[in-house]
Amino acid sequence: MTKNNVAGERGKQEVFITRLFDAPRELVWQAWTDPKHFMLWWGPKDYTCPFCEMDLRVGGKYLNCMRSPKGKDYWGTGVFREIIPMERLVFTDSFADEKGNVVPATYYGMSSDFPLEMLVTVTFEDQGSKTKMTLRHTGLPAGPDSEGTHQGWSESFDKLAESLQ
Amino acid sequence: MLSMRRDVFHAIADPNRRAIIGLLANQKLTINAVAEHFPISRPAVSRHIKILKECGLLVVRRQGRERYCEVRLDRLSEVAEWVEKSRSVWEQRFDRLDEYLSELQKKEKPHDEK
Repeated sequence: MTKNNVAGERGKQEVFITRLFDAPRELVWQAWTDPKHFMLWWGPKDYTCPFCEMDLRVGGKYLNCMRSPKGKDYWGTGVFREIIPMERLVFTDSFADEKGNVVPATYYGMSSDFPLEMLVTVTFEDQGSKTKMTLRHTGLPAGPDSEGTHQGWSESFDKLAESLQ
Repeated sequence: MLSMRRDVFHAIADPNRRAIIGLLANQKLTINAVAEHFPISRPAVSRHIKILKECGLLVVRRQGRERYCEVRLDRLSEVAEWVEKSRSVWEQRFDRLDEYLSELQKKEKPHDEK
């Protein structure tokens, strides 16, 4: 019985990052939810964020832009799903064009294996005078025949792993 | 128009498809035999098999008069590859957030001014 070991490796199916920031929780929360602050750090090294708009309420949309050092713009959009001030922020995440229309990753020359919509969950916790932040980033199954669009593919993957036991 | 190419993520999004992959993980079966395991209709099972084929997770091979379904699980590793790329982007963002937060506090704390 040769079994694949890909599906069985738990924890590899999603991005899960924990960081300790030497700053109070209000400030870390603000960095995520205030466009003025957000624009100053969003994007990988040497990228800038020339545009960010947020309608910070459940169901509200955001649209932002990352600019590469070569000047290429990558737009992202999504919808806030959960907002618990200074505790928890959940939003969907998709590639977009500059008008905010969702586009597949291939629009930016990336692999077509990116899911069309992903889910980002950020939590904030005091740790002494510091703030512990966790990020969970999962794909969302898209398409008319998938059930439970709130469920990340990591959960799908976990179930698949279980079913292979 | 969006080109909705089928991908691995699409394949594992549906519980019936996960069950089909699970069922075929250690054995090959005919489409009829697969269908017998599910309460859904045979055409529905066929449709899921077609999607799994399009996603590259399943092949149908003719053996004599029968057509057998086999799973190809290698592509599932694409999920893990995607995760790694994504992780490095987030890590870089948080390096910047870290720098930004400390700059912000340097400015605010000692002089108490904006």
